[in-house]
Amino acid sequence: MLLLAAAFLVAFVLLLYMVSPLISPKPLALPGAHVVVTGGSSGIGKCIAIECYKQGAFITLVARNEDKLLQAKKEIEKHSINDKQVVLCISVDVSQDYNQVENVIKQAQEKLGPVDMLVNCAGMSVAGKFEDLEVSTFERLMNLNYLGSVYPSRAVITTMKERRVGRIVFVSSQAGQLGLFGFTAYSSSKFALRGLAEALQMEVKPYNVYVTVAYPPDTDTPGFAEENKTKPLETRLISETTSICKPEQVAKQIVKDAIVVTMGLFRTIALFYLGSFDSIIRRCMMQKARSETADKTA
Amino acid sequence: MLLLAAAFLVAFELLLYMVSPLISPKPLALPGAHVVVTGGSSGIGKCIAIECYKQGAFITLVARNEDKLLQAKKEIEKHSINDKQVVLCISVDVSQDYNQVENVIKQAQEKLGPVDMLVNCAGMSVAGKFEDLEVSTFERLMNLNYLGSVYPSRAVITTMKERRVGRIVFVSSQAGQLGLFGFTAYSSSKFALRGLAEALQMEVKPYNVYVTVAYPPDTDTPGFAEENKTKPLETRLISETTSICKPEQVAKQIVKDAIQGNFNSSVGSDGYMLSSLTCGMAPVTSITEGLQQVVTMGLFRTIALFYLGSFDSIIRRCMMQKARSETADKTA
Repeated sequence: MLLLAAAFLVAFVLLLYMVSPLISPKPLALPGAHVVVTGGSSGIGKCIAIECYKQGAFITLVARNEDKLLQAKKEIEKHSINDKQVVLCISVDVSQDYNQVENVIKQAQEKLGPVDMLVNCAGMSVAGKFEDLEVSTFERLMNLNYLGSVYPSRAVITTMKERRVGRIVFVSSQAGQLGLFGFTAYSSSKFALRGLAEALQMEVKPYNVYVTVAYPPDTDTPGFAEENKTKPLETRLISETTSICKPEQVAKQIVKDAIVVTMGLFRTIALFYLGSFDSIIRRCMMQKARSETADKTA
Repeated sequence: MLLLAAAFLVAFELLLYMVSPLISPKPLALPGAHVVVTGGSSGIGKCIAIECYKQGAFITLVARNEDKLLQAKKEIEKHSINDKQVVLCISVDVSQDYNQVENVIKQAQEKLGPVDMLVNCAGMSVAGKFEDLEVSTFERLMNLNYLGSVYPSRAVITTMKERRVGRIVFVSSQAGQLGLFGFTAYSSSKFALRGLAEALQMEVKPYNVYVTVAYPPDTDTPGFAEENKTKPLETRLISETTSICKPEQVAKQIVKDAIQGNFNSSVGSDGYMLSSLTCGMAPVTSITEGLQQVVTMGLFRTIALFYLGSFDSIIRRCMMQKARSETADKTA
């Protein structure tokens, strides 16, 4: 009886596996596609641009600093696979004013045609205890990480819906999947991207526009180096439970995903992880209390 | 053999149930406690204030409009259970400037003592398609719903950590557990609250301060009436899969969960299923809660996939309907 049920289950899963490509979106063809990458002058964004360029795409890099943009452009162009490919650089702060961003997208579309894929990679990370973070940090992170993804997405969405094709990528973070000590400001901004993406995907799915939310782990980038400057001890210790990634590896995965009965067990494992995080934090707290009393008596 | 395993499992479960109170937070005593409610002059906030007042708390209402505050104060005071209780009203925009909010909290603490429980209920909702929403809406909603919860929380957190006692409630929404058509701006702001809450809880747990995130469904309040003004048809049709709640019911549940220190607060069986399904890496405050999540997740995810499929077909139908009526208009 049990054997029959198991066999049925296996047959069902195989059937789903065969049917699945019929339901999944048709992969986006990168050769000749126009890919816009915000935050494309460094870190994960630059690696994503390189990865797309290697596969034949035309790139528009969007970032604030013109020198960094030109440097990135030179680096990306080394990977060209034909004569026609172009890397366009436009300097703007994607979080400041929607009209500016809309203009940038217009410019890019005049030069390289309608946008096939938008990668929202502009972002920053600041870590610190809730009461130690500067109050302005909460607004700043939300503006750049969230609004700085809303504006470009909004500038491309109408054309994508008209053309019935498009990809929008939001680069969130593992800290956008769980809130961690020290990331009150950062996690909120990355969680927000997920809410935006889920709602947006539901709106644009009938138009063959697909949304990808990427959740990179700690990645070896200049942004991560910045984050480490103010990272509390507890956060550092907790982060040691995952290993740091190379941005090329992260970019490869993101591009791949953008173009195609474990739960209960995972929740159990997750609960153990949460327990270990809590004990790390308690230990640090007691350590701090002990060193404070030692300072007082000394 | 199977019977023995089943018996063992039941015994284990009973043991956990008995041990559970030893691990859960000690409930906060409301009589005499100082509860601050932002957005407390109407809707869910007002009902939360009433619920806490009925149980003996001293209330500070924080909102922008002074008239609405005074009206709410009169309404709340009808439910007093002794002579000493006080309802304090302070008018401020919680999202504009942190220093103003810090001052408000200082004032409240001078009059009614340190804050035992903060309920962040100030918020608004605007629904509309991503490209139809005014661009300023994204910033506006994030400022009020998110920053307007960050500022008061930050103003009370240091004192709560020093006193080793406190409750902070964030009123998110079911739209903060799943993104829905028409809620690109609203869902983001409510998802943000969850990220904030998870990170904050991890920081303050050793200090006996507990964070609760409430996920109310559609609730019959003035805020909801506002939301309905611009709500797209697709959103309305999707929302009909859950029923609208009364704010008193929502408030009762939120206060109960906040006192208990539960991280998750949801209303009804839909709410329970959605919370279990989307619990992700959220903490639990009782072992039974964790066990329930582990056991029900696969089933709930399966049900959820069917729900998502039905939402998608509602949206496709509306799209084809619109296309048909547009061609009809053109030929007419």
